[in-house]
Amino acid sequence: MNSVFVDAFRCEWLKRRRSLGAWLVAVGAFFTPAIITVVRLIRHATLPQLYADPLFWTLHWRNAWESMAIFFVPMAAILATSLVVQIEVRNNAWKQVHALPLHTATIFFAKFAVILLMLAQFFVLFVLGIYLSALLPALLVGGVAFPPAPPLRVFLADTALYYLDCLPIVAAQYLLSLRFNNFLVPIGIGFLAWIAALSALSWQYANLVPYAYTMLDFLKDNPDARRAVVSSGMHALAAAWSVLFVAAGYVGFATKAQKG
Amino acid sequence: MLCLETTDLCHRYSAGEAVLHDIALAVPHASIYGFLGPNGAGKTTTLRLLLGLIRKQRGTISIFGRHLDEHRVEILRQVGSLIETPSLYEHLTAAENLALLQRIHRVPAARIAEVLERVGLAATRDKRAGQFSLGMKQRLGIAAAMLHRPALLILDEPTNGLDPNGIIEMRDLLIALNREEGTTVLVSSHLLAEVERLVSHVGIVHRGRLLFQGTLDALRRESQSAAHVSLHTADDGHALRLLADAGVPARCGSAGLVLPAMPPPHIAAINRRLVEQGVEVYAIGAQGGDLESIFMNLIGSRAA
Repeated sequence: MNSVFVDAFRCEWLKRRRSLGAWLVAVGAFFTPAIITVVRLIRHATLPQLYADPLFWTLHWRNAWESMAIFFVPMAAILATSLVVQIEVRNNAWKQVHALPLHTATIFFAKFAVILLMLAQFFVLFVLGIYLSALLPALLVGGVAFPPAPPLRVFLADTALYYLDCLPIVAAQYLLSLRFNNFLVPIGIGFLAWIAALSALSWQYANLVPYAYTMLDFLKDNPDARRAVVSSGMHALAAAWSVLFVAAGYVGFATKAQKG
Repeated sequence: MLCLETTDLCHRYSAGEAVLHDIALAVPHASIYGFLGPNGAGKTTTLRLLLGLIRKQRGTISIFGRHLDEHRVEILRQVGSLIETPSLYEHLTAAENLALLQRIHRVPAARIAEVLERVGLAATRDKRAGQFSLGMKQRLGIAAAMLHRPALLILDEPTNGLDPNGIIEMRDLLIALNREEGTTVLVSSHLLAEVERLVSHVGIVHRGRLLFQGTLDALRRESQSAAHVSLHTADDGHALRLLADAGVPARCGSAGLVLPAMPPPHIAAINRRLVEQGVEVYAIGAQGGDLESIFMNLIGSRAA
């Protein structure tokens, strides 16, 4: 990797220190596992039966991902992306960034890479949170069997696909955040796009909606879900949308008449 | 030898009136160039064009003898800048703000402490920039601009928000950088008096046109030629006749009579003669011999 890009990336990574986006990643990732833990501690009478179930990890995993795939992952992608870009706008710093001896592509992709890494951090912390939310009730409530070792490989593969599924949202939000200085515009459009995707889940072409993939991915194994048939190429479509949005975002960024 | 040169630089914001007309800057190497003009004259637009922050529409920009269009990144390696308000990340400390740039410019980490010391912020290196006063932010902005020992510093009104003491310190700092490290400084201001004791060269811009460019001495010579004596009396007509009788070429101005520049004893003699002849003199004195007056004269008359 180009050493200039590494320096630019390290510079961008430092900017997110103590920022709202960095806090969102940490707090957001542990929110659902914390709720699950609290609910289980409140309903501790049902725990022995739950923890004795041979499908404990499958149930626990799906339980944890339900709110994440439908709500928290799209929201985290929308908010984290907008917040990272907003660091430059709020501090009136784009003009300094563009006056640095860096190519436009380096500036664009270094920041995008930081957003991607933050999101990866979000997913890793969430998986860690899922694991802890399974262990803590067993440790704190007496008479509950300790869960067996989790099927890590399956979990990691699932997580990687969810990560891929949310990339179109990240790329689209990056494009919007770079285009509009007003923080509310990308957040508002992102929120509306998420509602539209939610409404489109039962549409036969739902797999063409860029904000719908994490939801479709979660619902694909749920026979009761109100959703249309999902094509097997869903992840490829997510990747294609991501590439398209990143390319459009870069063209818009590079050809801006006024930089900062 | 020129450090920075522009030719026919023009700019127009979308569908609006042109804000720059054929700006031809010539900033000599190792000079301190004062880029002067009232608010809205086109100073910031010009400086933004020089840094590539605005897409150039017409003209050429050459820095260190190379065209900005083709060698932007190489040129910017040797340029430090502060455009309008300082770009500081308020959630980061002063040292962290500089650490961001230190990585990009690849200068030793020790340089951070060095520049903070130089701008008088060594004691606040771990304080968040958001808690800084406007003057402290301005100093930190200067520290960021000089972190990598640039050969050219482009500063847009760097004394904004500084108290009188801070303005003097800033001036001394820029002079020291220029003398000790040979840094070329291009500094904009809307007050000539503020940069008069700092700059070696001056460019005066008004309504997007460069009205004067040259050394400060050349501007001073021009100011001498524009000097005059103004006279305000109770009866200007009578005074005009008495002055004509005495062989003093006077004319009526917008606020009294205008006489050619003359030494103070001559002014005193004219005053005495008028009073002796019964003319009440309300005010008499030398005008327009200072740089500020020539600056005001330039932007007031040539641009009209």
